[in-house]
Amino acid sequence: MVLRHEEILQSPSVWRPRTPEEAVARKRALGADAVFAAGGTLLRTRWEAGTEAIPRHLIDLGSIEGLSGIWLQDGDLAIGALTALDDCLNDPLLGRHAPIVAQAIRTIAGWSVRNVATIGGNIVSRTGDSLPALLAADASLVWIGEDGERTEKLADWLSEPIPDRARVRLLAQVRIPLGGDDSIANAKRFFAFHKVGRREAFTPSLVTVALCGSLEPDGRLTGIRISAGGGQTVPARLKRAEELLTGRMPDPDALGEVYEQVAADYAPAPDPFAPDMYRKLTAANLVVTELWKLTAAGEAAGGKEGAPCR
Amino acid sequence: MPLNRTTSGDRWRVRPDGPDKVTGRLPYLTDLSLPGMLHGRVLRSPYPHARIVSIRTEKAKAIPGVCAVLTSADVPGLNRFGIARPDQPVFCEDRVRFIGDAVAAVAAETEALAAYALTQIEVDYEPLPVVDDPESALSPDSVKLFEHGNVLHRSDYGCGDVEAGFAACRHIVEETYSTPRQMHTYMETEGGLFVPEPNGRLTVYAPTQHGFMDRMQLARILNRPEADIRVVSSPIGGSFGGKDELNVQPYGALLALACGRPVKLHNSRWESVRAGLKRHPMKITMKTGTDEHGRLLAHQVRIVSDAGPYSTLSAEVLNFAVEHVIGPYRFGAVKVESVSVFTNNGMSGEFRGFGGNQAIFALEGQMDRLAEKLGIDPWTFRLMNMRQPGDPGPLGQPIAQTDGARQVWEALADCRLWKEKAAAGNRSETRPPWIKTGYGAALVMHGAGLGVGIPDPAGGRLTLAGDGKIEAAFGYEEFGQGLIASLEQMLIEQFGFDAQDLRIVIGDTDAVPDSGSSTASRATSMMWQALKRLHPPFATALRKQASRALGVGMEKLVLGRGGIRDAESGSLLISYGELAKTASEPIVAETKFAYPTSPVDRVGAHYLYTYASVAVKVEVNTLTGRVKLLDQFHAVAAGPVVNPQGYLGQIEGGSGMALGFALTEDAVMDKGMYLTRNLDTYLIPTIAELSGGFEVLPIEELPEGDKHGPRGVGEIGSVGLAPAIAAAVHDAVGKRVNKLPIDPALLLEKPVFLNKAVEWR
Amino acid sequence: MIDPKLASAAETFTLQCVINKRPVSVDVPPAKRLLCILREDLHLTGTKRSCDIGRCGACMVLVDGKPVNSCLTMAYQCQGKNITTIEGLAADGALNRVQKCFLEEGGYQCGYCTPGMIVTVTALLNKNPEPSMAEIEEALSGNLCRCTGYGGIIRSVLKAAEQGGRRHAGRHESA
Repeated sequence: MVLRHEEILQSPSVWRPRTPEEAVARKRALGADAVFAAGGTLLRTRWEAGTEAIPRHLIDLGSIEGLSGIWLQDGDLAIGALTALDDCLNDPLLGRHAPIVAQAIRTIAGWSVRNVATIGGNIVSRTGDSLPALLAADASLVWIGEDGERTEKLADWLSEPIPDRARVRLLAQVRIPLGGDDSIANAKRFFAFHKVGRREAFTPSLVTVALCGSLEPDGRLTGIRISAGGGQTVPARLKRAEELLTGRMPDPDALGEVYEQVAADYAPAPDPFAPDMYRKLTAANLVVTELWKLTAAGEAAGGKEGAPCR
Repeated sequence: MPLNRTTSGDRWRVRPDGPDKVTGRLPYLTDLSLPGMLHGRVLRSPYPHARIVSIRTEKAKAIPGVCAVLTSADVPGLNRFGIARPDQPVFCEDRVRFIGDAVAAVAAETEALAAYALTQIEVDYEPLPVVDDPESALSPDSVKLFEHGNVLHRSDYGCGDVEAGFAACRHIVEETYSTPRQMHTYMETEGGLFVPEPNGRLTVYAPTQHGFMDRMQLARILNRPEADIRVVSSPIGGSFGGKDELNVQPYGALLALACGRPVKLHNSRWESVRAGLKRHPMKITMKTGTDEHGRLLAHQVRIVSDAGPYSTLSAEVLNFAVEHVIGPYRFGAVKVESVSVFTNNGMSGEFRGFGGNQAIFALEGQMDRLAEKLGIDPWTFRLMNMRQPGDPGPLGQPIAQTDGARQVWEALADCRLWKEKAAAGNRSETRPPWIKTGYGAALVMHGAGLGVGIPDPAGGRLTLAGDGKIEAAFGYEEFGQGLIASLEQMLIEQFGFDAQDLRIVIGDTDAVPDSGSSTASRATSMMWQALKRLHPPFATALRKQASRALGVGMEKLVLGRGGIRDAESGSLLISYGELAKTASEPIVAETKFAYPTSPVDRVGAHYLYTYASVAVKVEVNTLTGRVKLLDQFHAVAAGPVVNPQGYLGQIEGGSGMALGFALTEDAVMDKGMYLTRNLDTYLIPTIAELSGGFEVLPIEELPEGDKHGPRGVGEIGSVGLAPAIAAAVHDAVGKRVNKLPIDPALLLEKPVFLNKAVEWR
Repeated sequence: MIDPKLASAAETFTLQCVINKRPVSVDVPPAKRLLCILREDLHLTGTKRSCDIGRCGACMVLVDGKPVNSCLTMAYQCQGKNITTIEGLAADGALNRVQKCFLEEGGYQCGYCTPGMIVTVTALLNKNPEPSMAEIEEALSGNLCRCTGYGGIIRSVLKAAEQGGRRHAGRHESA
């Protein structure tokens, strides 16, 4: 039986803690009957689709102070997990220090959903389209749990096979290192994000790729990070492709190898609307094309740095 | 002259239903509520195919606040519906044949309670093998949905000797084309309010495209006289053919009568997806050949259409497809075989274009492929083989002659976009190498009206009402196309009335004559015809009454804004209000006639056709295989433009829908289950798909002596775009598309700069 | 038997907010959707129900001036907020600029998506009086229209932007 209306079940009680600690304690007390809610857009969609039951208790994170906003801290760009996606897009700090993240967020849902949905919600879904960009930006997550505050690399958290459900904690911030790019004289930073779906806008993704790195004055690549996701795929870094490129020039040989490596290593979760092969080859195409744009030929052919491949 | 607001001048009018639409004031039928109303819900099958072992409703009935739980045992009349052939169960008795089949329905005090009550109805099913492929459903050892088998309908057509034709061919192209299960995706899902009246009648407030047909079907189900039922059916939040058949009406009506209280139903999107109609997925195999000069000698076609489990209008859609796979071309010999097949997939039925979309995608694909083989420009190739004035229709039937095919052909050859194509060949593109652009075109000949052998009544009534309003009553529906606006505009332009003089009455079986269905691009055409017939008697009656009242000779009086005016000076002599007061009874003129048909004995053959040509420019990103529509041109030969805003809107809107058919839309099913349950996975075009250039060129000229006036344009905009896009994709990347929506995987290319041969295994 | 979960009265709370400039106080379950509160409790049926999952925009309202899908918004999220529905855009009976332009350009057909569309466009032009075509696409991609193919809608938006005061480059007009 498909669950359809919230009223069919009890309407959940809504708890509105004022601090992260209070929220964590409430969750611990209520256990599996309770769910943290931020913007609630994904929860609502899942309840409506019947893929998730409406819980007995909602713990609203929206009234906790200090969980939203964007600021600089300890050499990082700190983004409060409760920051609405549209607020992220409009934030000048994020635009300056993590444009790849802004580019990714711009492709998520539509304006009205981005007004409510939060960056934290997109992250904890583990398949959100901001994730490849955050991976490429080497982001970390700041959690608040019963044992206090803990920071871990986003890449590490995503590579956990199954998150430990018994561990009660909430995502407080995502941190993006400001990067030492200024220290490398004359290195040219580049980044790109692509989302390919089945429609031009407001589409579920089939393929997402993000990459960033530096082109040294001698033409060699350094600091390369490449990630890919899409659909129900938990995004991951493509480490072997990164390693393959490090210290090399983006010449046809290197690009050919990267093409193969991306296609081999990117393992999308099955999607009923597109075969894996299409997604692998699309990811490979987008990655090598972004690298090719760094070459003289690529620039001459109209591939603008950092611009989408279209 | 391209059609837009500027070129339309004063004829571009604000729609009478506009102010209420832009303010949200307009009550749709799913917005209605009444004090004390109950909420209805339908229990549908969880299996695409199963035997019903038992149904137990006791638990659900015992819930306080649940007023009725109905099953097949509670249907007083015929437990079936279907416009053409009633074979769809209102409630299944012993077997379910698709995921939307209804088993029971409840009415309860709240929607929550009704939903809960559904969970308390106990149904034991015994799943049966699922027949989900029409081809294998035809094999003798397939599981049968019905005792008589899985064939719903066959329609064949032949003319000349195709074998001999192929033997004489120099070039032959053979291809199989597949089209998707497109969903209408009207923004307002099905629903309505069902009210038992104190006098024992039942009022049904629920969208449909033919109120009288609903009334007839409901009378049959409820076992009541039709006169005891009133169907109010407009305004409608979109239909596109999808609400022509009954949907929630049987359940609302049965529940309301069982409870003696008003009942409201409003489908969720998922319920709309699972129970509603879709466009027939078709597989069309064509073998077509020419001689060495490019003259079409033989055309052989096989159509297999997936009807889903019940008939509705599947046979009629198939007949239409048979006619339109032949289309506007002369063939030496033609042989068409077609079959519509019952499966356990979703219900297929009427959808804007009515089988023409699938047929013409295939037919135009053949034209492009043959032209390529011959090395002839594809547009020229079409002209070489086009039917000529005086030629019969596709099925050899007499048709109303126009020069539409040649007119739209020439308009396209002369349009900006086509000239741009010619110029583009000599220009090097400055785009990145993975972006490829291309141009394509398609020709469309589309029948209007229901065709031979199907009752196709028309009619209307004009009344000078007691309050002085000129009341125009028609049995048509307003589902967004601008029918009310078109009617108002015709009354103003043909009779000289002012908008303020008019009261337009539609969509209410108690108040309007049966004008037939608002379908098959027929309503505007039939309103025009009706007004033409009503003009002389109604104008005469008004003038006669005025003459009597004023003591002035009739010849000195004309109809005008606000009332009867002096024929010479134009000054107002008597207002319609005053005129009405002088009459002892309302002045009425009424007409009844039928849509014109061809004098042949071929069911479904059409008499009136509309022609269109479509040119497009697309961009293919070979890194992702995605296609973007950049620019489009439509020439439409459909006679005079009745309502410029409506005309433009129909072509733009139809084309938008066709873009989805071509690129993004498919209600994908797996073993009889929908994978696309809502608009998060079923993707209709957004504004980002459709912000490119758009030009409509109406060709209004009709042959001298043509009596039929404006042809409908409700469907034709939705037909030609997909084949034009397929041609443009080929122009861009050299690949032929034979399946819609276009699969990006087909268009993916490895970047050329990877000059080292790296093969992905 | 009644499901005990259902029988026990859902915890209600009093939603206090401002809707169309009027203070509203209504007792509802805290997770009830704003869409249902508007349509069922307040009889503001201009806000339409269509997909229930925030994909179509028919239920769009403004919350503190920003477009939000009322089908995704729960009662507790509206506490203390300033909400505007389509009924609130022409509150004094006079159409706003966007409504007028939709009327004149024919930016609607069946009209079911129109209230949501107009709500979003109003918010867009408030935020960005001279949007580029790309900005219009981005702002409106969550408002689906099945009738118009968006042609009339785009013309309406451009006209409303143009009338907003400053000159506008306009969409490529092919005539």
